[in-house]
Amino acid sequence: MEAVNQRAKELLEKGEIKAVLGYAKGTGHVRRPHFARKAGQVDQLVLDAACLQNLAVYVTKHEVKKLGKVAVIALPATQRAILQLMAERQLRDGELVILAVDGEAVKELDSAAALEEHLALKAQGLDAKDKALLAELDAMSREQRWVYWQNELSRCMKCYACRNSCPMCYCGTCTMDCNRPQWVPVASHGIGNLEYHAVRTMHLAGRCVECGECGRACPVGIPVHLLTFAAEESIHEQFGQRAGAKAKLDYALSTFKTDDKESFIR
Amino acid sequence: MSRIGVFTCHCGENIGATVDCVKVAEMCKDIPGVVHSVEYKYMCSDPGQRQMQEAIKEHQLDGVVVAACSPRMHEPTFRRAAGDAGINPYMCEMANLREHCSWVHEKGDATTQKAADLIRVLVEKVKHNEPLHPIKVPVTRTAMVIGGGVGGIQVALDIANGGHKVVLVEKSPSIGGHMSQLSETFPTLDCSQCILTPRMVEAAQHPNITLMTYSEVEKVDGFIGNFKVTVRKKARKLDEKLCTGCGLCIQKCPNKKISDEFNEGLGTRTAIYVPFPQAVPNKPVIDLQNCTYYKTGKCKVCEKMCPTNAIRFDQEDELVTLDIGAIVLATGFKLMKTDAFPEYGYGKHKDIIDGMQFERLASASGPTSGVMKRPSDGKEPETVVFIACSGSRDRAKGVPYCSKICCMYTAKHAMLYKHKVHSGKAYVFYMDIRAAGKDYDEFVRRAIEEDEVKYIRGRVSKIYEEDGKLIVMGADTLMGGEPVVIKADMVVLATAVQSNDRSEELAQTLHVSYDSYGFFAEAHPKLRPVETNTAGIFLAGACQAPRDIPETVAQASGAAAKVVGLFSNDELTREPIVAVVNRQAAPVYSTCVGCFLCQGACPYQAIEQEEIKARSGEVIMTLARINPGLCQGCGTCVATCRTKAIDLQGFSNEQIYAELMTL
Repeated sequence: MEAVNQRAKELLEKGEIKAVLGYAKGTGHVRRPHFARKAGQVDQLVLDAACLQNLAVYVTKHEVKKLGKVAVIALPATQRAILQLMAERQLRDGELVILAVDGEAVKELDSAAALEEHLALKAQGLDAKDKALLAELDAMSREQRWVYWQNELSRCMKCYACRNSCPMCYCGTCTMDCNRPQWVPVASHGIGNLEYHAVRTMHLAGRCVECGECGRACPVGIPVHLLTFAAEESIHEQFGQRAGAKAKLDYALSTFKTDDKESFIR
Repeated sequence: MSRIGVFTCHCGENIGATVDCVKVAEMCKDIPGVVHSVEYKYMCSDPGQRQMQEAIKEHQLDGVVVAACSPRMHEPTFRRAAGDAGINPYMCEMANLREHCSWVHEKGDATTQKAADLIRVLVEKVKHNEPLHPIKVPVTRTAMVIGGGVGGIQVALDIANGGHKVVLVEKSPSIGGHMSQLSETFPTLDCSQCILTPRMVEAAQHPNITLMTYSEVEKVDGFIGNFKVTVRKKARKLDEKLCTGCGLCIQKCPNKKISDEFNEGLGTRTAIYVPFPQAVPNKPVIDLQNCTYYKTGKCKVCEKMCPTNAIRFDQEDELVTLDIGAIVLATGFKLMKTDAFPEYGYGKHKDIIDGMQFERLASASGPTSGVMKRPSDGKEPETVVFIACSGSRDRAKGVPYCSKICCMYTAKHAMLYKHKVHSGKAYVFYMDIRAAGKDYDEFVRRAIEEDEVKYIRGRVSKIYEEDGKLIVMGADTLMGGEPVVIKADMVVLATAVQSNDRSEELAQTLHVSYDSYGFFAEAHPKLRPVETNTAGIFLAGACQAPRDIPETVAQASGAAAKVVGLFSNDELTREPIVAVVNRQAAPVYSTCVGCFLCQGACPYQAIEQEEIKARSGEVIMTLARINPGLCQGCGTCVATCRTKAIDLQGFSNEQIYAELMTL
């Protein structure tokens, strides 16, 4: 922590960056995102096991982009999200400085290539708890799974916290807000909730960096992250690729290839 | 409020027998926005169309639904009629009451109700229709013909004689194709070379034809009227301008034992070679795999011998990009090899040959100068067995289709053999004799009756070698399946016609469809046989299906007529059914977020980047833009776009939503 704060301070003092995005103490054990815009504010930044949030959600925001070059103290999931955002052209290469804490050392990654190289060294995978939950869902019959999700999603009140906390949900106008025509009903009733979550899952399939932020953001505790995780794992299985691993866009679900045999069409 | 007219067609009995059209027309009067609803026996007829046009004027209709057959059949007809009556043609839609309703359901109230529902859906669509305007694109009046066989040559000559430029691309060093390898042709037994070579020379000398031999198409971009084709000109390793074709290099090349492709492996050639003496152009090419210089770094005999110093060992392949308006595929076929047949010895017997090898044996320019000698020991074969349908019509081991040309060329082969070896015996094993064509059956009868070729209806189960003879074990199914054993000196297999090597790859390069055997698919098997589903790309000859020479040449002229017809326009009009990325007022500009996931999804490379710039020149955002010239309206990008920033004109989100919601 010392080292990363030290480096952040230097960068701010030299004027190479305009702000550092990291975590600060919030209420109780909660850690909240914090922008340190002056060297003096850097000391408020903390980095411990309680820091969970994917900070990449902020870097595409108009207000943050307006600040100028920003350094981000990035956990692996944040790094993956930033790389995926670069692949999807939402961030320019070199627009950010990524401060990656690796044990005692601090790595400064200032390009997509450097980020790709750094992430290639890290094994990406779900934590044991999520793995167990996914396995549990997998073991269910189709009918049981249907009942399970009907039940879970019945609590959804469409606050869109899952969407808003997701770094990959950066669209200016979300399909959910599109009302000419209103494909997905606004009201949070059974069918509307299901449609919303199905659309969200499909829009994130192949793009989800598996940070689990959506699940943490849900105020009523629906494990919505399992939906996108399941889609992502299935894509990894079938196409051998994961989101947030490559600087060049390679989107499994929509890449037209002339040598695709389309053997699944019968 | 819309003023929509509904015109229900009986299509004679096609719709009228199953759907109560009178009732449907009555029901449609109640749909909000419909001000006029009538039915008529044949809407597509002249009085039917006139009725619609008069109604448009009389009732001041702003939209029309014609409830009749498939839009693939008559949408252009009714849109033209609507356009002539003064409304935008794209305000006319068709409800498919025939294929989608009357043809697939029994007569009854439910069927009539479904017909009314289909119309209701289309009325909702028309309410959301926008007037569209055809897209105009210029035409480059240069055609490219891929494949320089008899089909390709014919296409090129016909287009060139029509006054347009043609680029004829051939992958081998000479044009001529399979026909140049044939000895004689059925059903007239005239010499193949004698009728083909003048055409080859004509193509080479025609002022409108550019020959690109030893070249292959690498990449095709663009669209009808405006293709950009990249051709790889393989290095011949000599300067074609300097080479006089004297042939000294070929005479002096020390490497003379290379299996000759033109003679189907029955003869040899040198490492620097022309495929055959009548080749066009008559310029040699160095075979890199077999040339001693490229293998060992020493030799260069040809360079020393060349009187004009034309040899260029350092010559590289050249990539040429050409502007092309239309493309004709005439890439031909290949024959299945004899090694595909375990029961006939996997091709290990030298005297079991395929039809093309027999052509070379019978040809005056072949390795034996036209004298019948069997390949193993050069002996004159006294008994020859011909086996038709080797691999064709064989679901188990070969291809299920009929190769079409084999019945005729087998009769020809047997005849040629009998003409050369009067005392010889010729047997033909066949399944059916398919000799449909002008003078074809007479030709086969002549083989049987005048030349005494023995035709045996039955299959050959096994061939094995014994005392220098090939023992052919067959059955005569017209004699109750009686076994037949023939001791033959040579066996000729009429092996199946297959699509050419790399035809799938070429189809993918050109974005044309192909069948499971690699033959290119026509747009319609009966009514559009020379067109592909990709506009501006046409077909000729055996690249589409097995074909003989007369058919290939006829189809080639057909394809040429299509190209010349296309080139008679100054500009082409394209249907405006293309995708569009929305644009809005600042500061939103568009709901497109510029992720460009659509770019990879587009099969036609139609999606470009557009920079939205401030007055200062600063780039505010980079958005997707769809080139309407390239877009084929497939809608893949529409489905890919998360923000629904892309709409397909004529099939917009709002239209489809309205259609669904009315049900």
